[in-house]
Amino acid sequence: MPTESPDHQPSGPTSNASRTNRSPAAASDVPGGYHGAYLSISLDGRSVTRVASRLVPLESAVLRQFLGGSGLGTWLMLEHNAAACDPLAPESAIAFVFSPLVGSPLTTSAKFAVVSKSPLTNRINDSLASSGFAIAGKRTGCDALVITGKAASPSILVIDNGDVRLESAEAFRGATCGDTQRMLTDHFSADWQFAVIGPAGERLVRYATISHDGRHAGRGGSGAVLGSKNIKAIAVRGAKLCHWAAPDELVRLAKTISKKSMGPATEKYRELGTATNLLLFNRLHALPTRNFQQGQFAGAGELSPESLSLARKKTRAYCAACTIGCEHLYALSDNDSNDGVRLEYENLFALGPLCGIDDPDVVLTASRRCDELGIDTISAGGTIAFAMECVERGKLDEPWLRFGDGSALLKAIELIGASEGFGCQLAEGSKRLAETIGGETIQFAAQVKGLELPGYEPRSLQTMALGLAVGTRGADHNRSGAYEADFSELADRHNLVPAAARLAIDTEDKAALIDSLILCKFLRGIFTDIYDETAEMLNLVTGWDATANELQQVARRIITAKKWFNIQAGWTPSEDTLPDRFLSQPLPDDRAARLAADQLVLAIRAYNDQRDWSPDGWVDRTQLEALGLARFA
Amino acid sequence: MSIRVEFYGIPRHRAGVAETTVEVTTATMALQDVVRQLSARFPVLARDCFDHDALRDGYAANVNGERFVSDATTPLPDGSCLLILSADAGG
Repeated sequence: MPTESPDHQPSGPTSNASRTNRSPAAASDVPGGYHGAYLSISLDGRSVTRVASRLVPLESAVLRQFLGGSGLGTWLMLEHNAAACDPLAPESAIAFVFSPLVGSPLTTSAKFAVVSKSPLTNRINDSLASSGFAIAGKRTGCDALVITGKAASPSILVIDNGDVRLESAEAFRGATCGDTQRMLTDHFSADWQFAVIGPAGERLVRYATISHDGRHAGRGGSGAVLGSKNIKAIAVRGAKLCHWAAPDELVRLAKTISKKSMGPATEKYRELGTATNLLLFNRLHALPTRNFQQGQFAGAGELSPESLSLARKKTRAYCAACTIGCEHLYALSDNDSNDGVRLEYENLFALGPLCGIDDPDVVLTASRRCDELGIDTISAGGTIAFAMECVERGKLDEPWLRFGDGSALLKAIELIGASEGFGCQLAEGSKRLAETIGGETIQFAAQVKGLELPGYEPRSLQTMALGLAVGTRGADHNRSGAYEADFSELADRHNLVPAAARLAIDTEDKAALIDSLILCKFLRGIFTDIYDETAEMLNLVTGWDATANELQQVARRIITAKKWFNIQAGWTPSEDTLPDRFLSQPLPDDRAARLAADQLVLAIRAYNDQRDWSPDGWVDRTQLEALGLARFA
Repeated sequence: MSIRVEFYGIPRHRAGVAETTVEVTTATMALQDVVRQLSARFPVLARDCFDHDALRDGYAANVNGERFVSDATTPLPDGSCLLILSADAGG
């Protein structure tokens, strides 16, 4: 069991291949679970192998205010003034951020956040992924990697115990995410971990992902940001461990939490996976169908995991350091091997009902191709479905692209990945495509701030409608879990009222905390008081005396910091809304699902008021000072 | 009176059926009456999803696709449809 690393101090030799200036923080100042520094990597485009890098100390106060993951990543983006940059320009910054819990025995803690300005939304973007890259990345001796600049040619960024160099990625050009990962494993060795982009990231598709071991930092186009820096992959290896403040108690707590994680609160994820939402959402007219023109899909039964499990081989998989095992992989019908396709509710809805597709093999193949090409399934499905409706309405002359046509869906995905022909326009996302097509098409481009809506019909789930409208990342189900209120007695899912703002804020705050600690959200059901119980685990790792109230304040600080980033990037109140479709017409197949624009406006005002922002959502200096963010004013 | 019950997620797996019907000869029926009858008919469902005459934490009930209910004494109108589901909706 690791306690104190002999190489804990962020200092070390400078290799020929790097110019690493290490500025060690005093060990006594560094809380447990942290290295107390981030690794700043500057790609100057002059050398094909050498990289300027240095360890930059992170003050303990900053770590306690922002924790790690999404929170610390947002702080790093504010520090680097990323809001002012074109996200695809060399001067932009992208951060891979670990957390105090990474590497600990706490279940689901092997996670990392990728934070940058999004090329899809031009707003803050934080996307998370799991598994060995988080552990190995942190063992390189830092709490985050921050990359700026652009390599001279396609490169692998190699970080070996904190020493940084570039290797040519020429042999990997155009390779899929999976092939890249496999080739890198052969090229390096088993003790290395990799984050890679696929062809879509190389071609700057605005919703390209970063992939690690079949999992994706999926939303908002972080893969394009890495591609813009000519980085095909990041390889990490390290042996630098952090100490924990109370290792024995931490191990005991970890055992208790692991046991709970195998109980009823995670049963659904373990036995059925997230795709089991499909039938319930369909029943409640909450399943977005044919670009949100309906809330029910006639073919839902065929696509449901209940049906898929009967007809085809299924396997389960786990992230590193996870006891839940939510991943359910389904074989294609002509495939008897164990090489299944990971199926989540979001890729199922986006590549199935949203595009009118009811053939499970098409949906599985489309999902696999998105993963291979490195494309966010929600934005891909959302953009293609929008284009299909444009064709249906005679607004777009791509007659091959029709709802329900599986071969058209697969062709569109290939065109996006290759950025060829019409794929170049699809690669821009639905908002930019609507702006190109013109007319009233923007009214039915299902996006907020440019980010395509996830699989929650906002007219049927109206607390979620609020969460989607105000989200700093855009329309998003991972930063707002407001749908939880809609699936409870706490809210009337067909009647949004200002009081729902409190419910939306509660789920947003919890998500901000979980994404910064970092833990898996599927663990949330095991906690009675998430703030109190996560404070205990954080204290055992760090040695702090953080309280539930303090962590609530941390969550609020992180949300406001994200909002401040957006304001610096040009946010205006008019962005916090939903497309006209959702506010001007009821759901055609459920007339009770009607959301008036005035209802949403009143709820947004209540939301802003309870966040202590102005009624329109502006953040003033007083608020920044109250949260310790005055330096960014 | 008659209540149609639909199962989703884990409750469907435990019941082994997608839906069933509960009937009583009394004039009223509450959520707990339905749960009691289901428990007798589906012991695995009762073991994993029910706590006596109520739903365990992690499970939810919805009436007619509209109202979520948890109070075991909630009256259910004749002919209504009760959905029993896994509570966490996220994906």
